[in-house]
Amino acid sequence: MVKASLNTDGQVLIKNKQKQFSPWKLARKKFLKNKIAMTSLFVFVSFVLIAVFGPLFTTHDITRINFMSMNLPPSAEHWFGTDTNGRDIFTRMVYGARTSLLIGLSCMTFIIVIGTIVGAIAGYNGGKIDQIFMRITDFVLNFPFLVFVIVLNTILVGKVSGVWTLILVISLLSWGGVARIVRSRFLSEKENEYVLAAKSIGTRPIKIIGKHILPNVASTIIVQATLMLAVTIVAEAGLSFLGSGVPANIPSWGNMLFEARDSDVLRNKTWIWVPPAAAITITILAINFIGEGIKDALNPKSRR
Amino acid sequence: MSNNTAEKREVLLEVEDLKTYFPIKAGFFQRTVGHVKAVDGVSFQIHNGETFGLVGESGCGKSTTGRTLLKLMNPTDGKIIFDGQDISSLKGKTLRAIRKDFQMVFQDPYASLNPMQMVGDIVSEPLVNFRGKSVKELKEEVMDLLNKVGLPSDAYYKYAHEFSGGQRQRIGIARALALRPKLIIADEPVSALDVSVQSQVLNLLKELQNEFQLTFLFIAHDLSVVKHMSDRIAVMYLGGIVEVTDKNSIFAEPLHPYTQALISAIPEPDPRKKKQRIILEGDVPSPANPPTGCPFHPRCSHAMKECMEVKPTLKEVKAGHNVACHLYN
Repeated sequence: MVKASLNTDGQVLIKNKQKQFSPWKLARKKFLKNKIAMTSLFVFVSFVLIAVFGPLFTTHDITRINFMSMNLPPSAEHWFGTDTNGRDIFTRMVYGARTSLLIGLSCMTFIIVIGTIVGAIAGYNGGKIDQIFMRITDFVLNFPFLVFVIVLNTILVGKVSGVWTLILVISLLSWGGVARIVRSRFLSEKENEYVLAAKSIGTRPIKIIGKHILPNVASTIIVQATLMLAVTIVAEAGLSFLGSGVPANIPSWGNMLFEARDSDVLRNKTWIWVPPAAAITITILAINFIGEGIKDALNPKSRR
Repeated sequence: MSNNTAEKREVLLEVEDLKTYFPIKAGFFQRTVGHVKAVDGVSFQIHNGETFGLVGESGCGKSTTGRTLLKLMNPTDGKIIFDGQDISSLKGKTLRAIRKDFQMVFQDPYASLNPMQMVGDIVSEPLVNFRGKSVKELKEEVMDLLNKVGLPSDAYYKYAHEFSGGQRQRIGIARALALRPKLIIADEPVSALDVSVQSQVLNLLKELQNEFQLTFLFIAHDLSVVKHMSDRIAVMYLGGIVEVTDKNSIFAEPLHPYTQALISAIPEPDPRKKKQRIILEGDVPSPANPPTGCPFHPRCSHAMKECMEVKPTLKEVKAGHNVACHLYN
């Protein structure tokens, strides 16, 4: 008590205090104890680091087709071998990680931001606004995803540079589910008396949404975010595999899988398609485990 | 109580024929097929500095009345005149501006505090909203407030889940008190608490009332709690007030049959004392489909033919004693 009145800076005092039971802190503690989630986090972070810094160290040129070194199996010179165009697979993997993770992370961010804003406004206001926003959401949800992505991608190619076409298209078509979930959480959360209390002390609606309800539904949103990250990485891989994703000159994990459509490659030259497939699988698994861990950590009922 | 009740004081809050209906929607097109008449024509006045008790069984519309008065819900009809201003149709900014003058203490101390906020942030929020200062600048004032409601200063850095129910209710009181409002509506502030803690919180409310000249609207279902707190008491039944008078006469000579039944149900600590218990038969009728005439007539032992046809209005039967019953016409 004496300490509290002497110290004028609240932040410093928090650090000095031994017992702090912020809900976020409890969750962090629980997450740090979760071995699978921590391992997954480590794997995912190292992938991200490789994607960011890897290209600084690679020596092979992957922009040029090299007839001298086509379809070479793994060796000291080419760690993962070379592909049908004679490009180093390991180097392409590193550059591909950049593309795939960039697409995954940006799509996730856009989807979560759009979905949360739409869901929050609809859920908090209810009534007519809710009806209008949710009908728009239904509309988006009912688009035939693949067809639309392929068509929009074709239209937008050349107008928006490279991968951003795909990011834009995936984001604009995938926020519906998040909006619905956020809305339903808002609908139930706003019935709590603390929301009424905030209203009665004259808090603005925007602040009630942002400062009171949002932190209480954040756990759901975070878990959704990890799921969307996995989903969009898979979507990118799938679209690129079909040939209407990332432009062919930009390496991505999906683009690299594209080559496995040749049955000779699929059967006899496994080194060409196994690395990108493994990378996708490991990333998705890691993200899902992280999501599970966060869900567990934020659930007050699972005390471990 | 401590204030002189006989003295004529100015009216702080006047409610005229307040109605709050909730639509019942049904069918594919969500058409309105009827209304739950939660509050159906309530009128009363609260004077400056007094405690006005509102009692009634659960579902009779007490809480809805309280929430409508604070404009947390919109009234369907009627007037709410607060401090000379009709607030019943205020909206948006003008409504927010006037909110600093009336505050609420909520029923459930577990649901009414945001679990993600520090107590310091919870209590300083009304001040931040109305004074435009930052949380840091307000820290000392907030710690003072916490001390006033009987919490240690280091509660500032804790979260609501670290406190017991009684302490949480104190936090809620501190938040309501922060803006020094003229009127505090206490919506069953102790019904979620242990009996031993109830009296502490009630006494705290009384002390604060003396210190800050507060006016209370005290909503409860427990008559003994209301008796302890209030100067005047209104009894509610099915969305309407059936009897209003000062607290002594309501216990000494309850006029409305419903009030009589309620008072006979208060447990008597002395086992030798014989008392007559009036047992009400049946359930409270649905507010979606209230009985014709007097809403109480299906359960009333004195019901007459008139009661089934004409709804009685509140009339002054004795000085300061209003009853809505055909027996006293």
